[in-house]
Amino acid sequence: MTRYVMIADLNRCVGCQTCTAACKHTNATPPGVQWRKVLDVEWGEFPDVQRLFMPVGCQHCADPPCMHVCPSTATAQREDGIVTIDYDLCIGCSYCTVACPYQARYKVDKPEFAYGDIPTENEAIQFDERTMGVAQKCTFCSDRVDAGVEQGLTPGIDPEATPGCVNSCIADALSFGDIEDENSNVSELLAENTWFQMHAELGTEPGFYYLWDREAPEDMQGDMQE
Amino acid sequence: MSNTFGNALQTQWDWRAAGNFMFGGSGGALILMAAIASWPGTPNLVIGLAALVFVGLGLFLVWLEIGRPWRFLHVFFHPQTSWMTREASVSVLLFAATFTGVLMQAPSLLAAAGLLGFLFLYCQGRILKASKGIPAWREPAVVPLIISTGLAEGAAILSILLIVSNAAQGWLLYLLMGLLGWRLVSWRNYRQRMAANNAPPAALKVLDGIDRPQVILGNALPLLLLVTVIVQPALLAPLALLACILATAGGWLMKFTIIAKAAQVQGYALGKLQKGRPAIKPPVRREKDKFVFSRD
Amino acid sequence: MHAKVEPEVKRVSTYCYQCVNGPDLLTVETVDGVATKIEPNFDLKGEHPADGKVCVKPFGLVQKLYNPDRIKRPMKRTNPKKGRHEEPGWVEISWDEALDIVADKMNATRAKGVMDENGNPRLAFTTGGAATPFKYMGSFPALLFAWGPFDQSLGAGGTVKCYHTEHMFGELWHRAFTILPDTPRCEYIISFGMNIDASGGVTGVRRHADARKRGMKRIQFEPHLSVTGANAAEWIPIKTKTDNAVLYSMLHVLLHETPMDKLDVPFLKNRTASPYLVGPNGFYLRDPETKKPLMWDNNSNGAVPHDRADADPALVGTFTVTGAIEVGADEETWRYDRVEGATGLEKTRQLLADKTPEWAAEISEVPAATIRRITNEYLAHAHIGETEIVDGRELPFRPVATVLGKSVNNGWGAYECVWAHTMMQVLVGALEVSGGMLGSTTHVAGDTDWERSLTVEAGEDGFMTHTFTPTDKEGWDANPFTRHAHNSLTPMGGSKMGAQLFGSTTLAWLRLQGRAAESWPKPNPPDIWFVYKCNPAISHSETNRMGDAMAEFPFVAAFAYTLDETNHFADVIMPEATDLESDQLHRIGGGHYMENHWESEGWALRQAVIEPLHEAKDFSWIANELARRTGLLEAYNGAINAGVCGIPLQTDDYDFALEPDKEHSQDDIWNAVSKAASHDLTGGKEILDLDWFRQNGFKTRPYSRLNWYLYHKLEDLGLRFELPYQERYFRMGKQLANRLHETGVHWWDKQLEEYKPLPEFEDLNRLWDEIIERNHDVKAADYPFWLLTGRSMQYAWGGNVGIQLIKEVADNVYGHDGVVMNAGRAREMGIEEGDLIEVTSPVNSTRGYARLRQGVRPDVVVMIAQFGQWKMPFAKDLKRPGLNALVPMNVDSLDGGGSSIDGTKVYVTRIGAGL
Repeated sequence: MTRYVMIADLNRCVGCQTCTAACKHTNATPPGVQWRKVLDVEWGEFPDVQRLFMPVGCQHCADPPCMHVCPSTATAQREDGIVTIDYDLCIGCSYCTVACPYQARYKVDKPEFAYGDIPTENEAIQFDERTMGVAQKCTFCSDRVDAGVEQGLTPGIDPEATPGCVNSCIADALSFGDIEDENSNVSELLAENTWFQMHAELGTEPGFYYLWDREAPEDMQGDMQE
Repeated sequence: MSNTFGNALQTQWDWRAAGNFMFGGSGGALILMAAIASWPGTPNLVIGLAALVFVGLGLFLVWLEIGRPWRFLHVFFHPQTSWMTREASVSVLLFAATFTGVLMQAPSLLAAAGLLGFLFLYCQGRILKASKGIPAWREPAVVPLIISTGLAEGAAILSILLIVSNAAQGWLLYLLMGLLGWRLVSWRNYRQRMAANNAPPAALKVLDGIDRPQVILGNALPLLLLVTVIVQPALLAPLALLACILATAGGWLMKFTIIAKAAQVQGYALGKLQKGRPAIKPPVRREKDKFVFSRD
Repeated sequence: MHAKVEPEVKRVSTYCYQCVNGPDLLTVETVDGVATKIEPNFDLKGEHPADGKVCVKPFGLVQKLYNPDRIKRPMKRTNPKKGRHEEPGWVEISWDEALDIVADKMNATRAKGVMDENGNPRLAFTTGGAATPFKYMGSFPALLFAWGPFDQSLGAGGTVKCYHTEHMFGELWHRAFTILPDTPRCEYIISFGMNIDASGGVTGVRRHADARKRGMKRIQFEPHLSVTGANAAEWIPIKTKTDNAVLYSMLHVLLHETPMDKLDVPFLKNRTASPYLVGPNGFYLRDPETKKPLMWDNNSNGAVPHDRADADPALVGTFTVTGAIEVGADEETWRYDRVEGATGLEKTRQLLADKTPEWAAEISEVPAATIRRITNEYLAHAHIGETEIVDGRELPFRPVATVLGKSVNNGWGAYECVWAHTMMQVLVGALEVSGGMLGSTTHVAGDTDWERSLTVEAGEDGFMTHTFTPTDKEGWDANPFTRHAHNSLTPMGGSKMGAQLFGSTTLAWLRLQGRAAESWPKPNPPDIWFVYKCNPAISHSETNRMGDAMAEFPFVAAFAYTLDETNHFADVIMPEATDLESDQLHRIGGGHYMENHWESEGWALRQAVIEPLHEAKDFSWIANELARRTGLLEAYNGAINAGVCGIPLQTDDYDFALEPDKEHSQDDIWNAVSKAASHDLTGGKEILDLDWFRQNGFKTRPYSRLNWYLYHKLEDLGLRFELPYQERYFRMGKQLANRLHETGVHWWDKQLEEYKPLPEFEDLNRLWDEIIERNHDVKAADYPFWLLTGRSMQYAWGGNVGIQLIKEVADNVYGHDGVVMNAGRAREMGIEEGDLIEVTSPVNSTRGYARLRQGVRPDVVVMIAQFGQWKMPFAKDLKRPGLNALVPMNVDSLDGGGSSIDGTKVYVTRIGAGL
């Protein structure tokens, strides 16, 4: 079968936020809502300091806490692992938001625009009332993936079938593909590199892998390491 | 020292959500206590309605918080795994059983209502425990804490209602003393587990901030007052009343703080480096949405 | 049920050229005629070094289109009084009226003569973005050419914010307006503050990421840990402005602690001036007959001319030469029967003899052992002796580079640093060879900014030709042509088309404010000032005083997209079509600019994705209208035909020329350019019109990687890189000193001291303290911090501070919303994260929120340079601290080339708790 995952190569990422901006274009998210963003992280003490950039967003967990807690079944998971939200089912209780260990979810209660209350033309044409008052998050651009697959394209390889953030990444740090295919781009990257998952100890089995070649100090490695 | 970064305070669940845990928890336990206290009879209408008012107020506050209030019926769609669906479902049964039980003076319905009240309380504990994004909630020790404080609040509120209607019951005060003791132990255990599990420093700081008022005014002082009442039953009305008010307020303060103030998010982290192709776990949805009582 | 009407979705190819790393091709999605999304142009996968990706900046262009703060139609000022606190009283007018106002002013000015009584052009033109706005101006430059002389000295930030010294010496030495490592092959890069992951554009980021993955090591010396430092193998927190000490000590390690045979001896002997003998007066010893510089030949044990093919030149040592001359300034000649001559490399060794790592460690706080280790790693990675075949040609393979960042490669000390880092390449033979350090683009050495290898021609003394501004008695121009006097003061800028851009913009503004060049008359403000895509009132230095000068300008015509702090002083504002609303054909690929060498080249079209909104007009339309109204149509068309729009429209091979006396629409112009460009690109096989480019976006052909390098060109011509010894520069400085002193100019004497044949080490921290105390009534010790800036990829050159999306995403990168300072130092001062602090320089102070980090030296604070707006909508409400207001302008801080650094000394005080 197919399970889609994303990979962020932290040895490549320069924190430029092109993916952040591309995600905002692709998904027409309102100001302040960043389904994809890149953290600017620092640790150590002068002069022994490490700075690193870390793309974050929905990790499309194999065992997603958000889905289990969702009372309305708005949050669901597809066979290919993509965690989805049905805007027409969601009641906006935010239980998923507090259940998500990755701060991936947003809720916007009333229309917000870049320049005040009146939407610009591009905002007006892309505004979707269904997103008001409900949970929203990264979808792995499932609409692009589905449309691409329908045309016989390969997600992660063909841009038309690939999430917007991955397409936009100028450092070639983001990759997307099917981890259950042993020969896929993502399987090869994981086989060839050292990697970690965020908060793996929580048992969420994230569908987001970080390539990184330096052992981070223990105090940056998350809680309750197994 | 926390091992994560970006531990901001969540703001999605504010005082309104906290209100549900405060009043709803008290109300659920109140029904249980009332059912026990009146067994084999039934409690009077005022007590029954008071319990429902507490539960109803809590649910109303949550309703104010949700983004799509007119879709509230969707809350019942996911009993398989969602403790929120379960809490809501229990609350419907709780309302029905309590209301009819009190109206029809049916002890068996009231007994069921009492059980549902306890279940409601239990659901609240599990709602928090399932919130994996919030270290102060997902801590398993939160469940006995929510239950013990809810029960203590229920017993205290029932005592207040009985005392003001001149129907105080001595055993209830002994029970309350026991529950306060359990709550105190649960609180200490919760705090200790939080620290042991590297909770966000800001969360620990907030919890430390209420430790003293909570322990002294919410638990120790009510216990002392109740002991005094045992020695001096003549002082029952003022002292027991005060003890019960403090016990309830202490519980509410604690829950408000945990929900609205100590709810720093998990934060981000790096992880231990792994090598080689990962062991792949399939998406759980492929097993369909089976009824799961506990995922933890 | 109504049938759902599917929206009409289109994808249009265009490009982004907001910064010098462009043009980057992209596609824009439109939905029912509304631009919605920016996406990469995947058709370039495999051709473009970053597979057709674009950086974060163009994602702001959609908001730029629909920004409600846009200027929607032309406006004129009704309040004749100008000043920061004067309300201009804008009223909207028609384009006809606006163009008439401007054309009348131009006609009236022309009637007075294009030059004023001081000999300065009456018309001035200013733009920003390292001249990339020229790539947005359509045919407007043709109008400027048709006009005649115009003044470009009123800079928006050039010479303060540019790699000025690198530009000038880089071009002299290896046609390198900017430099870059041959990143796809480089193994080891020593970077002194070059923030390439923020400044190298899409291709830079991608190539460096690929290189890291391949194992390339980058050592990053910088006072604060930049985004580039984040990904470096090592961050070395060097003390501010001590890069020269570390570089000199690295050269010391190579020249005094390393056996000579470990260096690239053949390269030094044959491709550099290392063996040239220097006489007692500091000039080359020359053959008395041919005047050719002499070398010591080990074979014949005697002095021979530099071009003796069978010679084995001595690299180091001092030799006694019989029969030689020295030619100094103004043809002063010394004749010798017997004379001692030391080789250029020997002189270099002497210069560096005491510059040990231990000496540098004291100054820079970089441990001596670290300096030694890095230098030796660098040497080991140079693969001296190895070669690579590139397109059939054998080239040395030397995969190492030493690169410099801004404020290291301009201002005082930059001559030392630029020379030293280029010498790091020279000693290991890693200049203009595979894997090593390359140049890109020529503006000083040639009129082509596209193919630098075309400028490699045999010049005097075995070096490449170079066109300095004359400093000899006959050639030197005592009358400053421009307000910054580039022709009289800064001869390294040359005399080609771009020469004005290398004069000191600081000096122009200082002179207009009456605080510099006291022996010269205060210049008149220009009768007409055109200002476009820049905001010098925010982007230059000491910005609180810029408006004083601007308020005196009699007529300012601004092309503008929003109101800002500069067009606040304008008389007419004209809204030009923005990036996604306008047309222009431009070259792509080749070896253009930093980190932007491609293996293909061609042309791409920027095109209107939607019709211009409101009453915004394409620049070519504006140029057409003004050309007609000023009677300059014929000269304007002539300039277009001659190639001002990127390529001549008429050559021996083709003729797409415009009829000179007729007005041609913008489509006609770009149609002709499209045909000429495609004809030129395909050797006449394909003639593609504007419509073809509208559909297809771009046309390319292969570009040999051999063109990335110059080594083989010099080898073919038997030429040498003009290093290490700077005889021509030394002579030029002496001549310039003579000319200036002859005309009573003594206020440039400190700058003249820089003209040394080998740059001598100067303690720049002490120099700065002296400058501060001399120019301001303060004690330098009261200013314990260096205020520096960090490059913001999101903002730099984008003119996008008013774009909400850019602000939103930039805020994810540390430092954009406050003042970065060392956490430990801050806490010692009682400053906590988020506290409001005040940063004070000798000229101004500003406030911002403290952002505490570990990755910054305790004696450094950092601010992003783009802020400080008080007029621009949206930006003015950000209330963010801006560095530029704090950076002093004075003649003392200008180096010999007229540039100064983008930083200053400051002190910090806590004001109170933050929000």
